[in-house]
Amino acid sequence: MLRQIAAIALKELKILLKDLEALALLFAMPVFFILVMSFALEGVFEAGTANHPIEMLLVNLDKGPIAKQISKDIETVKGIKIIEEIEGAALTRHRAEALVKEKSSPMAILFENDFSESVKRFVASSEADLPRVSLIIDPATNRQLLAPVQAAIRALVERRVAISRQIHQIKERFSTLGEEIEAVLPRQAALSAPYAPAVDLAILAPKGTASTVRPSATEQNVPGYTVFGVFFIVLPLAAGFMRERHDGTFQRILAAPISKWTLLVGKLLPYYMVNLVQIGLMFAVGAVVFGMHFGTFYGLIPISLALAACANGLGLMVAALGRTEAQIGAMGVFFAVVLSALGGIMVPTFVMPDVMKTLSRFTPHAWALSGYHDVMLRGLGFADVWEETAVLSGFAAFFFLIALWRFRFTE
Amino acid sequence: MMAPMILVDQLKKAYGSSLVVRSLSFRVEKGECFGLLGPNGAGKTTTIGMISGLIPPSAGVVYIGGVSLSAHPREAKVNLGLVPQDFALYPALTAMDNLVFFGRLYGLWGRALSNRVAYALEAVRLADRADMTVSAYSNGMKRRLNLAVGLLHDPAVIVLDEPTVGIDAHSRHAIVNSLKDLINSGKTLLYCTHHLWEAEALCSRVAIMDSGRIIAMDTPRQLIRKHGTGLIRIELGHPVHGHLLETLQRNGAVQRSSERHAGFQFQSARPNADLERLLKLAEECNATVRSAQLLEPTLETVFLNLTGRSVRD
Repeated sequence: MLRQIAAIALKELKILLKDLEALALLFAMPVFFILVMSFALEGVFEAGTANHPIEMLLVNLDKGPIAKQISKDIETVKGIKIIEEIEGAALTRHRAEALVKEKSSPMAILFENDFSESVKRFVASSEADLPRVSLIIDPATNRQLLAPVQAAIRALVERRVAISRQIHQIKERFSTLGEEIEAVLPRQAALSAPYAPAVDLAILAPKGTASTVRPSATEQNVPGYTVFGVFFIVLPLAAGFMRERHDGTFQRILAAPISKWTLLVGKLLPYYMVNLVQIGLMFAVGAVVFGMHFGTFYGLIPISLALAACANGLGLMVAALGRTEAQIGAMGVFFAVVLSALGGIMVPTFVMPDVMKTLSRFTPHAWALSGYHDVMLRGLGFADVWEETAVLSGFAAFFFLIALWRFRFTE
Repeated sequence: MMAPMILVDQLKKAYGSSLVVRSLSFRVEKGECFGLLGPNGAGKTTTIGMISGLIPPSAGVVYIGGVSLSAHPREAKVNLGLVPQDFALYPALTAMDNLVFFGRLYGLWGRALSNRVAYALEAVRLADRADMTVSAYSNGMKRRLNLAVGLLHDPAVIVLDEPTVGIDAHSRHAIVNSLKDLINSGKTLLYCTHHLWEAEALCSRVAIMDSGRIIAMDTPRQLIRKHGTGLIRIELGHPVHGHLLETLQRNGAVQRSSERHAGFQFQSARPNADLERLLKLAEECNATVRSAQLLEPTLETVFLNLTGRSVRD
């Protein structure tokens, strides 16, 4: 029986290798996606970090000192970079608006020429208007990205307003001291000192939880598009089964002293191997091109084995359910693309609405990605990814059962 | 007494309420070529599927070389070579690759495999094209390779389902000659075809199937003797005498006329006597007989007589 399995697997491999373009596509497509999407989405995933700060234009028309002080405060915030000059000239409102409009910059901060005066008026009188800082923003800017930046700016402006209010209140309270008040107050240099963080906010990942750890573009895209590419095996696999059914070669094989199980195992084996090679290659690209870390390498093995089984099961199920090449093509693309989208391959599940998050749990893609992230991001190992492995194996078993129930070797 | 190479006993196949094969029984002895003939939908392909172990029968048994196909399928299948109606080949692979693959399924490896592949290629005269991919083959070459795969593991019984369909006369003759060689070497053949002259040339016995049952089974010679009719063709000058025309029409003659003559053709169980009577009548009517031809009965006329003349699909 083993020799017959080997014979069928060798034959299938030979046929696969005859169509090198199709095989290359299986490998090239996820590599292409990984490269393009990792570079393209770098801004989304890593924007706001020290390595990839968000660049903000700042138009300072203020004739007083407060806008300048706020500008210095903002520069101390890691992840935000202030641009006040372009080509040696101070930014004007008109230029800043043009740059935002042409998407050269996501936003601009505008301090009007009476900003410092408006702060003084505000702290001196409860009747006075709030001092205004304007943010010039492209309407298409990612609001999720914008919210923390807005919060940081608001906090820094309010801090400066609060300092001004304290000085004003001290002056008012001790006005009888006359000229001596200046000596009591903190020195101007101390007041205008830039913002210095007083606390280090560390973000920690509790072991075994998924919510706080978010992947970088590479860590999302390499395992994500690997999972995506693995499921594209569905198309050649199902088409191969259909072709044999149509050409009558299955019948001829089964006229030999061979069981249906031997035939199925021999036929599936090369596709399973192709999937494993695919996974290895994708992770190698991640490591070589992006310096991606694998975490505990052994932890990736059970996930990868179960994932490849899942993709093969799905391929066999499509072969069993499809009656024509068009049906197989449509089903293959549906399962490969739509389930990928739903499973968080293209857009991470943490940005999805709750309903979509729930639905994603019913896709093998989400579980495979979660398993890879457990190992790569959360530092979990072989023994910790049993849940994902079990669920993926369950999906594989489900697909195989449907396939074996519906599969016919003849037309 | 030696067991027959193929024994089919009370074989039935039903799909739901539709009985496709009805209680079929026959035996094929060693070295015999047994023809299975019948119109489309007669149940031939289903019968071949059951004999090859591809379709489980609803009832009845099949023995190949004395081994029960249902009880010991692996042992029985070793003795069986199938040449299906479909090409059932891998077009992306070479002829050699195809043969090596199918040979391995039958447990052939190493030198034994090389020898058998070389023999099979030689038997169908494809040795010089062994390294061509099958997709580049003509239909005739594909048919020959299809046959070669069936011979590869040196089976005692070869089941052939229309092995010459859709090919030119040269390839057909090449295949028929290869089959004659196989019969001469002692192989047992179950031969299913629509080309009745092939059955007549190759088969020692034939069974004619219709509606899932065998309606006649004997040697071709005996079937022709029992059920055959001759064919009379006669060409008369214009105009055809009324009495003569009436006689021809009464015999079911088919008319194929031209400007120069009126041609008639009809079957006759006693062609000699009928032709003699027709010529005498023509003389009495002063009709001009341009030509008269008497064709001997063949398996084709037997087939048409037994299965009727209506188109089945």
